[in-house]
Amino acid sequence: MVGEKVGDITGLSEELILKSCKLAIKAHEKFPGKLYIYEKNRGSTDVVFAFAGSWLVDHWYSRKPFGETKVDASKFPSLRSLGSDEIALVNEAFSTRFEQLLIKSSFASEVEKAVSDRKQVVFTGHSSGGPMAILAAIWFLEKYVRPNIYQMPPYSVTFGSPLVGNRIFSHALRRENWARYFINFVMRHDIVPRIMLAPISSTEQGLKLMHDFTSPKSQSFQHVPIGNSAAAPAFFLSVMRNASSVASHAACNPMGWTNLLLETVSCFIEISPYRPFGTYIFCIGNGKLVVLDNPDAVLPLLFYCLQLSPGEENAEFLHGIFKEHLVYESELKESLNMQNVVYIKNLIDIPLSSDAGTNYAAATVNSALNDLGLSTRARLCLRAAGELEKQKLENQKRVDSNQDTIWEGLRRVQEYQTNCEIRKIGYYDAFRNQRDANDFNANVKRLELAGIWDEIMEMIKKYELPDGFEGRKEWIELGTIFRRLVEPLDIANYYRHLKNEDTGPYMVKARPKRYRYTQRWREQAEMRSIGSSSESTFWAEVEELRTKPYSEVKDKVLRLEGQAFAWIRDGILGKDVLLDESTFTKWWRALPVQHKSGSCIASYLGN
Amino acid sequence: MEAETEASSFESSEMLATFLASTPLLEESWKLCHHANTALVQNFVVNRVGEVTYVAFPGVQNVGGANCCSRDLVALGTAAEGVFTAFNRHDEGEEPVMVHAGLLQLFFAIYNTQIFRDKMSELVNESKSLVFTGHSIGGAIASLSALWLLSSLPKTSLSTAVFCITFGSPLLGNESLSRAILHERWGGNFYHVVAQHDIVPRLLFAPSSPFIQQLHSFFQSRHLSLKTPYHAQLAVELSNENKAELFHTVLACLEANSGGVSDLERSPFWPFGSYMFCTDRGSICMDNATVIIKLLYLMLATGSPTSCIEDHLKYDKYIGRSCWQYLMRTSFTEGSSIESSYEAGIALALESAGINSHELAYGLAKDCLKMANQVGCRRNLNNAKLAVGLSKITALRAQIEWYKAFCDDSDDQMGYYDSFKRRSASKRGNKVNMNRCRLKLFWDKVIEMLKTNQLPYDFHMQPKYVNASQFYKLLVEPLEIAEYYRSGMHKKKGHYIEHGREKRFQIFDKWWKDRKVGEEENSPRSKFASLTQDSCFWGRVEEARDCIYEVASEMDMGRRLLLLEKIEMFEQYASRMIDRKEVSKDVLAKNSSYNLFVGEWRELKSHLQPWPLQFTSFQDGGNMVP
Repeated sequence: MVGEKVGDITGLSEELILKSCKLAIKAHEKFPGKLYIYEKNRGSTDVVFAFAGSWLVDHWYSRKPFGETKVDASKFPSLRSLGSDEIALVNEAFSTRFEQLLIKSSFASEVEKAVSDRKQVVFTGHSSGGPMAILAAIWFLEKYVRPNIYQMPPYSVTFGSPLVGNRIFSHALRRENWARYFINFVMRHDIVPRIMLAPISSTEQGLKLMHDFTSPKSQSFQHVPIGNSAAAPAFFLSVMRNASSVASHAACNPMGWTNLLLETVSCFIEISPYRPFGTYIFCIGNGKLVVLDNPDAVLPLLFYCLQLSPGEENAEFLHGIFKEHLVYESELKESLNMQNVVYIKNLIDIPLSSDAGTNYAAATVNSALNDLGLSTRARLCLRAAGELEKQKLENQKRVDSNQDTIWEGLRRVQEYQTNCEIRKIGYYDAFRNQRDANDFNANVKRLELAGIWDEIMEMIKKYELPDGFEGRKEWIELGTIFRRLVEPLDIANYYRHLKNEDTGPYMVKARPKRYRYTQRWREQAEMRSIGSSSESTFWAEVEELRTKPYSEVKDKVLRLEGQAFAWIRDGILGKDVLLDESTFTKWWRALPVQHKSGSCIASYLGN
Repeated sequence: MEAETEASSFESSEMLATFLASTPLLEESWKLCHHANTALVQNFVVNRVGEVTYVAFPGVQNVGGANCCSRDLVALGTAAEGVFTAFNRHDEGEEPVMVHAGLLQLFFAIYNTQIFRDKMSELVNESKSLVFTGHSIGGAIASLSALWLLSSLPKTSLSTAVFCITFGSPLLGNESLSRAILHERWGGNFYHVVAQHDIVPRLLFAPSSPFIQQLHSFFQSRHLSLKTPYHAQLAVELSNENKAELFHTVLACLEANSGGVSDLERSPFWPFGSYMFCTDRGSICMDNATVIIKLLYLMLATGSPTSCIEDHLKYDKYIGRSCWQYLMRTSFTEGSSIESSYEAGIALALESAGINSHELAYGLAKDCLKMANQVGCRRNLNNAKLAVGLSKITALRAQIEWYKAFCDDSDDQMGYYDSFKRRSASKRGNKVNMNRCRLKLFWDKVIEMLKTNQLPYDFHMQPKYVNASQFYKLLVEPLEIAEYYRSGMHKKKGHYIEHGREKRFQIFDKWWKDRKVGEEENSPRSKFASLTQDSCFWGRVEEARDCIYEVASEMDMGRRLLLLEKIEMFEQYASRMIDRKEVSKDVLAKNSSYNLFVGEWRELKSHLQPWPLQFTSFQDGGNMVP
């Protein structure tokens, strides 16, 4: 944890970080009217795009109280929770500004050029320029890196940036393994990175103060009018109070366990949805840097670092929370030169009290925590974040240990399928009829497998597994095989028991998570559109269509035939669906002659 | 050791209190209570802040005829007919839900005013979220108001969120009230703030004593003295001896109630909801009633006869403090050498609770925080274990399904119910019977855990269990009925539905009825259901057949008529079920009990020809058919 260099930890050279910082500050101070500026030197291997910040309230909040909205799924298809399909929330004002950037400027084509020149692309921003850099980097990752793993990934480097997205945002970036490309520098006392934890009603005045404080033309440039206005302390207090709400709320509920009190209270108050993500580098002000990359630990830090020590309740402190927003360039020049860096990876074992630390490493960590001003309560929150991460990894281990049992179960179902085929009956129909002891045994296997998978799905839904779980290749593969092989049995069972008459069509009302989620995993991994990998629900479609008159469902029949043709051709759907006695075959043969003669699967089913 | 590993490694009681204190709810509530106390408010006062409306009841009530000083309890179901509908029914063998008679009377004095009714209906219609609050006795009235609104809201289509925050409120009801609140999932709607040594929330643990009347007048006069200096001169003073005796009596009774060895009688009063304990050094929040009582005791033990009276009037200070506490970094003085996160968290919580490590109470308090933590963790762990258990029993269920399919297609044409009822010793039948018993054990265990509060509060709302229990009921209850009549239990105990039906099925009925249903199209069935949709169908068949036998031997015309009516009712009901295809095909098997009934009934009717009677009371008579 000690003695590493910022460049080694982040993968981005100190030189490039400094260059970004300079350009980011320049964009904010010198070119506030420009959407972006960039710097590329002939012969240089990198291009840096910098975005100017703004203090206009409209550029921060689109509406009360927190101004969040769903991300544009067409531009950011990965920013969602895969299985549950919950779309990430983003600050609408920031995202609108980013839209403008794409529409109104030559930004996209400049980036395109940098990509074709094979440059390392860095997006950077100071203050509210930070969110632009973050969104630009995600846009770049979706557009260039996802389709092409050989594309050099971009970096987003921000300085005193406000928060941009909610926990799904953070979850999705970690799942895609992109979180490491987001580097955020935060001065310990800078209030700006905390602003989005409070609603517009309590920060509107503060943004005006920040504007006056930072603009050279204003009378109160670099000077907070504390003497004649209560606005500055009120701003600080309300940001802190809201930060306290967010941090303590998150700490009460680490694993999403139900607590009725929290549930009731959440009907009465709204809590900021915004959460940090990526790597955070806290600048303490004495040249020391503290690095953390666990978002659950960064959140409480944003709050606890800004607590007052006894005797600090003075104007100087208040001045500091404004002033520190403006010192990034000089601070980084010094600290990147000093390289006094503490990277806190192992959160579980951090010392709890300020005088602990017997060996060198513990003492260094402890002095970093002391410099951040962390009380025992704050340290407990960091440990809890570490513990949560550890617990998730342990859960994953436990889930992984099920793989063999699942493979074994799948093998049995496969045997069943083969046995049925020998008897010239598709396993779907055999299972639907349930005449034989084999059918019964297959049902028991189906239920056993469902039990294992349902438990996993439940854990995913509650975010009890590491964020990366739904992107793991082995599980995507296993999930796909499981879904293709076993889902037909679930459908057979459903229609055998006429549950459609109680509950409605399988696809609408009853499709279990174990199939919905696994299908989404594959679609995301292979960059297919949502719903495109529905081969395992072929039978549900057949069951619904065959109860309806042809004239009503003609279009759907045509679509299904087209899909079935491709699936059978590609071997995704077994040929047993075409057996003479199959429900599908019988239904298809009963379709009107003129339809059949023109059908694409006529060649399979002949006459 | 087991317990150690089960506990969460972090103590959250302090964090929860910090969270509540950082929201505007606590501060705004207290502001309005303070206003209600000092501004000579008559009944209640309303204030709207943003989306939230606050309703405060003053701590000084015109007590009038209400006897607030006794410990008399009245049953909420009967004393307040129709007002608290959620508490009307109660289970056999359990004490009815009861509340303090005097406090209930005070509530009704307000509830029965037109202005209260009008204002409430206005607020409920206009406001999405309502907070009831009050200091002292006002807090108890706030609790009753919240209970009343929570029980009456489901009858309306409104979805107003209700929260209740009390400051130094006396206890309100018995343990059954606390349990009923948990069952309704309202535990999170009540937040009781208690100052470190405040005597009032602890008072009802002690039997009534003459001082209490005096104490009441004392507080009343102190409240009034805040308003006008004139009253200050009239202020009643409590003698030091009185204070000391009160303090020691309450302390001794609390000790007895919190499990200490004592001859003192236990108080019937019991806390509900969450408690926030405030001290000079912080605050903690708990929701385990046993632990709350213990902390009420341990914290009072650190007080004095003076502080226990003064603290009741110091909420302004405590609330102000806890609402700004977050701003300051507090140094941790106790046990700086602690390395375990859990122990450190407990030490911090105890420091906030004002219990120092050198005090005798420290060890006890530590144990009770640990216990609360373990109980909370165990609930979630149990839930996880049950999920595994549930997936294991599905195989048993599948075997029974398989058996049903076998019976329904079997050559003897008896169908599922009769095959099982009239089974001879066969491996298959035994196995199914065994599965029936194992499933019964599983579900009984679930219900037992739910009853003893070992499962998460929302357990019975989880679709997984609602669906599984319903499916279990439809599949297995026919077997239970078959076993009941097969073993002749009906002769000993009476018919199944009324006398033999196990409680679990009634509970599952309720879960199913209360589940959230989306808008589902109810198109008619095209085939018979795979399971008869009324799991008691066979019980009704048995009863109807029994009636037929009775008719034959019944000489009294009146009773005979009743029996015939009952049979006729069943017949109509059964044919409706069959028409709608809500029965499974085993009902119609040629040799099923139902078909036997049909035959016997036809025969009986032919003897009764010509049809002698006009059944006029079909619609309202008989209780056989739901």
